Amino acid sequence: MIYQIVSPRLGTPGDIYKPEAGVNVEALLLHGFIVEDKAPPKSAKTKPTEKG
Amino acid sequence: MATSTYLSNPGVLVNTVSLTDQCTSATVTNTAEALESTAFGGTSRVFVSGLFNQEITLDLYMSYAATETYATLAALVGTTTTVKVSNTVGGLTAPSATEPRFELVGAYLEALPVINATMGELSTISITFKGGVLTTVTA
Repeated sequence: MIYQIVSPRLGTPGDIYKPEAGVNVEALLLHGFIVEDKAPPKSAKTKPTEKG
Repeated sequence: MATSTYLSNPGVLVNTVSLTDQCTSATVTNTAEALESTAFGGTSRVFVSGLFNQEITLDLYMSYAATETYATLAALVGTTTTVKVSNTVGGLTAPSATEPRFELVGAYLEALPVINATMGELSTISITFKGGVLTTVTA
């Protein structure tokens, strides 16, 4: 999971937040310090199937 | 004679959130519990080290604004987190021998005074994180 900083109390807003071991991430999410980074996933590259 | 006078330098991080501008006092205590091992024949009490029992006590101004004191601490009650304290703000990010960073990982917050209201005074709270493993970082 990737998180983005919202509150300047954690760092620069907009930067990626990498939680350290032992940090309560749920508490940060609950009170809006960080948000989940919902960047659209890369589309899967699939080969076209040939129809005979 | 050596003394340390703190005017505005120390830094405090709770769950990676900076509460430096809300904190007026921070005490980090490294305790090795004393187990008595005095035996017959002894004339003085003798102790050996038991479990380590760490504590960090913080005095903070209470604020209910977004991402301030209450928002930082409310969801931590009954859980463990990481608390970092240094004698300088710079020591939080770049610790050194003269600016050590004390990290308590697995610190348990048992209680949070959710309101402490007195007429004509700024609201303050005192909280204590207990347990966990204390590390001193100097580089």
